[in-house]
Amino acid sequence: MDGLELLKKDWKNQEENLPHFEAEQLYKMLLKKSSSVVKWIFIISLIELSFGILLNVFFMDKQFWQEVDNIHLKTATIVIYIISYLITAGFVVFFYKRYRTISVADSSYLLMRNILKTRKVVKCYIIYVLVSSGITMMLFYIYSLLYTPGISENLEEINWLVIIGIGVISILLFLLFLWGVYALLYGILLKKLLRNYKELKNLDF
Amino acid sequence: MKKETEHKFVKLLEEHQNIVHKICRMYTYDQNSHLDLFQEITIQLWKAYPKFRGDSKFSTWMYRVALNTAITLYRKSKRKPYTHDIDQFSFKIKAEEYDDTTEQQLKIMYAAIKELNDIDKALVFLYLEGKNYSIISETLGITEVNARVKMNRVKKKLKDILSA
Repeated sequence: MDGLELLKKDWKNQEENLPHFEAEQLYKMLLKKSSSVVKWIFIISLIELSFGILLNVFFMDKQFWQEVDNIHLKTATIVIYIISYLITAGFVVFFYKRYRTISVADSSYLLMRNILKTRKVVKCYIIYVLVSSGITMMLFYIYSLLYTPGISENLEEINWLVIIGIGVISILLFLLFLWGVYALLYGILLKKLLRNYKELKNLDF
Repeated sequence: MKKETEHKFVKLLEEHQNIVHKICRMYTYDQNSHLDLFQEITIQLWKAYPKFRGDSKFSTWMYRVALNTAITLYRKSKRKPYTHDIDQFSFKIKAEEYDDTTEQQLKIMYAAIKELNDIDKALVFLYLEGKNYSIISETLGITEVNARVKMNRVKKKLKDILSA
């Protein structure tokens, strides 16, 4: 007899020695907290979405505005902040909408795809935060040079290529480090999901 | 109203809990993780219950949520035992068919399905539960043709293990 057919025949008998929970025990289980991947993605995403906001609030003290004023970037900074808050708000709304589409009662493939798409929104947000911080940092770096006493008077003697090169490389290294931490975090969280998603996807193509 | 819903849900779960236990047996290797996965599946079922419209059978809906929890949402990494711990499965085939070879074959089969990957396990599980390919493909979200192709591959894999 085919191995699987033999197993199928025996399968029903498994039920005889399965554990059994009484209603009382099941009621208690309903009160427990979930530890699912989706819940963790939700928590981590909220932390990440507030990351940009916290970063801004943390740096925006009196001294910061004074310095910004000194290097003639006050208006530009206000505009940058307004735009970045609007973009962050957009990401939060979009994230929430995507999160709502995750349903455990969907097919496995759809469920996994929806989880990955939801994560993609946060991934885009992180890329946006990193790139925009990079650009802002670069802008501040150049303007501080332009308006720093001692440097601003001798601008023609400065080797701009070297200065900008150093700036770009240090910012890139910093961003790369943050990206590494981010990839590691999700890599651990989604290892199993990604493996199973690929398995199902490979089946269909 | 909430109490009433809770009561109805627990009653249905109690009635159909064997499905969840069988999935836990497929996907976990010890009693603690069995309990842990059962717990997570229960929470997911309860969370999804308000959206259960009753247009499908409770058990069909339950297969989907429970399997999804096991292969997608459950976070704990699986800890494989060093030896094939298949004692948790029992072998009870009708007395007249029962012989050493059958028992041996069943042992090998149960050990073999424990070694399959998550998706293959889901396929085999639904197959053993007597679900047709239409249900299997709907549950996993693949086409019926691909479900058949995949199932045939798994069958061959298991057959090879048995004849080895």
